[in-house]
Amino acid sequence: MNYGAILAALLVLTVLGFYLGRGRARAAAGRGQSRLHSLPGYYGAHVAIWMALPAFTLFVFWISFQGAIVEGIVWNGLPDRVTVLGETKPRDALPAEQKQLLINNIRNYATGDVVSGDVTALMKQGAAQYLRLEALSSWILAAAMAILAAVGLLLTYRSIAPTMRARVRVERVALLLLMVASTIAILTTVGIVLSLLFEALAFFTKVSPVDFLFGLEWSPQTAIREDQVGASGAFGAIPVFAGTMLITVIAMVVAVPVGLFAAIYLSEYASRRVRAAVKPVLEVLAGIPTVVYGFFAALTVAPMIRDAGAAVGLSVASESALAAGLIMGIMIIPFVSSLSDDIINAVPQALRDGSYGLGATRSETIRQVVLPAALPGIVGAVLLAVSRAIGETMIVVMAAGLSAKLTVNPFDAVTTVTVQIVTNLTGDPEFDSPKTLSAFALGLALFLVTLCLNVIALKVVQKYREKYD
Amino acid sequence: MNEKSVEHVVTAPPPEAAEADPAGADRNPVKMRTRGVNVHYAEKHALRDVSLDIGEREVTALIGPSGCGKSTFLRCLNRMNDTIDICRVTGRLELDGQDIYADSVDVVQLRASIGMVFQKPNPFPKSIFDNVAYGPRVHGLVADRADLEQLVEQSLRKAGLFDEVKDRFGDPGTSLSGGQQQRLCIARAIAVGPEVILMDEPCSSLDPIATARIEELIDELRQNYTIVIVTHSMQQAARVSQKTAFFHLGDLIEQGETPQIFTNPRDEKTQGYITGRFG
Ligand SMILES: Nc1ncnc2c1ncn2[C@@H]1O[C@H](COP(=O)(O)OP(=O)(O)OP(=O)(O)O)[C@@H](O)[C@H]1O
Ligand SMILES: [Mg+2]
Repeated sequence: MNYGAILAALLVLTVLGFYLGRGRARAAAGRGQSRLHSLPGYYGAHVAIWMALPAFTLFVFWISFQGAIVEGIVWNGLPDRVTVLGETKPRDALPAEQKQLLINNIRNYATGDVVSGDVTALMKQGAAQYLRLEALSSWILAAAMAILAAVGLLLTYRSIAPTMRARVRVERVALLLLMVASTIAILTTVGIVLSLLFEALAFFTKVSPVDFLFGLEWSPQTAIREDQVGASGAFGAIPVFAGTMLITVIAMVVAVPVGLFAAIYLSEYASRRVRAAVKPVLEVLAGIPTVVYGFFAALTVAPMIRDAGAAVGLSVASESALAAGLIMGIMIIPFVSSLSDDIINAVPQALRDGSYGLGATRSETIRQVVLPAALPGIVGAVLLAVSRAIGETMIVVMAAGLSAKLTVNPFDAVTTVTVQIVTNLTGDPEFDSPKTLSAFALGLALFLVTLCLNVIALKVVQKYREKYD
Repeated sequence: MNEKSVEHVVTAPPPEAAEADPAGADRNPVKMRTRGVNVHYAEKHALRDVSLDIGEREVTALIGPSGCGKSTFLRCLNRMNDTIDICRVTGRLELDGQDIYADSVDVVQLRASIGMVFQKPNPFPKSIFDNVAYGPRVHGLVADRADLEQLVEQSLRKAGLFDEVKDRFGDPGTSLSGGQQQRLCIARAIAVGPEVILMDEPCSSLDPIATARIEELIDELRQNYTIVIVTHSMQQAARVSQKTAFFHLGDLIEQGETPQIFTNPRDEKTQGYITGRFG
């Protein structure tokens, strides 16, 4: 029985339970014994919750553990001697990878996916067993859920009485659900950070943190042969972070003035009609996928800058920090402008009126009253933009280079933290080489930097908001 | 003949006579004069044919129920309505006989000579000193720091705030109490050297003591400045003003000497408002 159908059936039953419960509550009220404690809908919701929640919880646990259990049973049902990759061995003597391979193949064959190697009789046998077990399991699940729903219905339906405090109970469950949701969000974050942390620690057992944090050379290749030259690789992260900083600075030089001036124009000068036309255009700019910015940077802007450089006798790398930074700046303009626009609009009109009332002109008012008042908020917005630029990946992957050069020359090719993470983790990574693990260390460092920036920025913005609320 | 004219003044004059020469019995010369002023916010007709004379060096109170256009009228007097896109002002408004809506008028100059104080104190997020110095700096009124300091001190003294803040010029203006902030705003307006000061419900966010303080101040300022004040408090209007104008639903219903308006209003709408029957 398919899982979608099980859930659909549960949903239908739950809805039915809701109407049943509401109907009974109404009837109880109708008999006029006394006033209902809660609105009839709450009684219906109470019934529905106790039908759906236990059954659904069972469903979630069942689904999470069923795979492993079924695989275990299938595995034990296989003959004692099995043939894997053309070799026949005792089943219990199989190395872990081969065991996993065999199980994967059985499962893939059962679900109709591609199997590696030839389909063997062993697989067919296992797959048949697998399908049988799965079908059985889903029937048991459906039956168990039906029983749970029925018990829930019975207990709650019978408890419906005018004195029952259905609203309180429903509110309590609602609170619980909300807490579960936020816990999931928090746990996920914690999980991500922890996995980052552990992989980074694994990296630091191979490369000393001092070398990583203060080293001036980054060349994360690992040896193919033991005796290869430069086999060890160098993992000094400074050039990589310097590249990120260089590109971020270029991006900010573009985005902050343009974004800020655009925001000032829109919020202080533009007529309603211009505002209505320009704001959506800026938002379109924000909606362009970064990969599109990326190839625009790589294919249009970078060659343009190189040619322009050549024309005035400068040697410009074809993957220059300037091209990546410029495009990243353009990408961030709407971010800066819409945040600044909000912040400038939050400056009370009374301050502007006060300034106009003293005979100040519009630009004097903006420079001397509006901007100073908005400054903390704008600083916060810029910090958020910086943190975005630092974490931006696609544009730099496409338009910045791979060579980690410690330079401040914007015409040079540089690499960034995010680019190194991508290149070290894509392809066919070995998960215990320092090259791969370095990606996690870089990721952790990047995470810490942007976390600090965000915390500071949010604090600043919040303080600013409080001032004018 | 002599007797007849006296008779005429004692029995309420017909409205047309008031229309033609509203400031007939003034002792003070007219500082600002408006004739047939109409204001529209987009389609909404907010003020209709307002003709009012504002006497020099005296306090004119604008009263009337909420939404009747008092603030709108006040904002016409220093062209603050220019900052609202949808607002359209027609009719004639004069300052010392000059049309203030003429093309040749520099709004910046105009607003320097007609200062404004708002309902809610709105000090800039700057130091007390810089708040007062803002206007003089914008208009380039002072040559050097010493002059500026003198002007700031003078303005704060006139606004009755100097003694309270003399040791804390560097503190932010927003750190003052509400009443102090409002006096700071008055000092800020005075610093530009205006001839007229417009006040839109300057005491509505203040407690009775701070209000009394501002009312005293208004009475002192009357020696040197022409003041127009919008207020919702009949008592305040009676206490501080010499002339009162009553607005109702965009019309100027009645204007005259304050004691006369409060003791012997000609129009029954005025009567109704000041005795609290509506508004
Ligand atoms: N910026 C504006 N845009 C559109 N309509 C406005 C605007 N300002 C005022 N109005 C309208 O003009 C009319 C007069 O408003 P105004 O603010 O002058 O009243 P008021 O007498 O000052 O009232 P209050 O005593 O409540 O301050 C009101 O009907 C108001 O809705
Ligand atoms: Mg008003």
